[in-house]
Amino acid sequence: MLSVLALTSMVLLGIASQTTAIVVYTSWERHALVGTDVRLSCSFFSWQWTSPDVTFSWHYRPDGAKDSIAIFHYAGGAPYVDNKGPFRDRLEFVGNPSRRDGSILIKNVDFADNGTFTCDAKNPPDIAGRPSHVRLLVFEKVPVQAGVITGAIIGVVLGLLILIVAIYYLMRFLVARRVFSLSMSKHGKKGKGKEGSQQKCTSVLAVADPVKLKAAASEKKKQESRREKK
Amino acid sequence: MLILLAAIFILHITCICLLLAATIHNAWWMTDTMSTDIWARWILIGGKWSYTEIPGHYPKEYLQVVQASSVLACIFCILGLFVFVAQLYTIPKGNRFLFTGVFQLLAWLCIMIAASIYTDIFHKDKEQGWYGASFILAWISVCLTFISCITYFTLRKKLA
Repeated sequence: MLSVLALTSMVLLGIASQTTAIVVYTSWERHALVGTDVRLSCSFFSWQWTSPDVTFSWHYRPDGAKDSIAIFHYAGGAPYVDNKGPFRDRLEFVGNPSRRDGSILIKNVDFADNGTFTCDAKNPPDIAGRPSHVRLLVFEKVPVQAGVITGAIIGVVLGLLILIVAIYYLMRFLVARRVFSLSMSKHGKKGKGKEGSQQKCTSVLAVADPVKLKAAASEKKKQESRREKK
Repeated sequence: MLILLAAIFILHITCICLLLAATIHNAWWMTDTMSTDIWARWILIGGKWSYTEIPGHYPKEYLQVVQASSVLACIFCILGLFVFVAQLYTIPKGNRFLFTGVFQLLAWLCIMIAASIYTDIFHKDKEQGWYGASFILAWISVCLTFISCITYFTLRKKLA
């Protein structure tokens, strides 16, 4: 009986110690463009209350390297940023430890920052747990540089050009038609003075079809020039 | 007369080629490891040329104006060629090629705007480097399109 009690209590203790293991969460992978800032988030789950002695530490292992270096440490309520390594002046602590957030911000990433970042959080008395890794991939963006202003300027100028040409030809066409229809209505009203109006008609018609006349003239010119060229 | 016609034609086509080269080739400003321009930047990394983005500190509006006006110059020059051929066959004898001249004038204006803005705004700090091929071609196009425009405004159609 006593042995069973001892056994169950030990098992319970074992389970309890497992449940008090801290679980650290980060992203799996982060993608960033060269020159931008990237925020690596890290938070943890713990059965204990968030202690004032909570610590966060970040390590960095470059792609292809075997060892990792420490780049950030938060302890005793104060963040300590790396000021000698590859991230000096580029690392900023943007987390909120009282809210279990130990995120860091890396500014102006470059291709040399490709690698694995490891976040380790400890919440005393809850210190047993596995750190979590996030992989940083730095990309070049395929440039799509022509922006809105470029397209707008091109579109507006070409649109204006087409509009002006269209209005020009429309005006010519309308003027010709208007004069033509005016002469027709005059011809219709004055039924008696046929000859006079007929003369007017033909002269107006002659003026009113500049387009057709021009076409005829240019046809002649074309043939002339072709003949002369030959 | 035919020789004159051929010369004008060749001048116009040369303008088009130079404008297209200046607009498309990314070489307005160069250093030993970099060839940058109005669309993108080529950087020599580890013996290989990589196509990357123009950095963010460039004044964006001016860059886009240079892009837009150089593209417009190309468009106007190409349209001018077609208008020239059309006018060659349609205008009456003794008239000038005004429509074509207008297109060339617009092309001249646009490429001059592009080249001037680029010269005045970009790379004003004492950076290492020199102006590249596209920049030089742009300024040569300014001169050639101007000559072409004057030619069209003064030339009269005669029969060969």
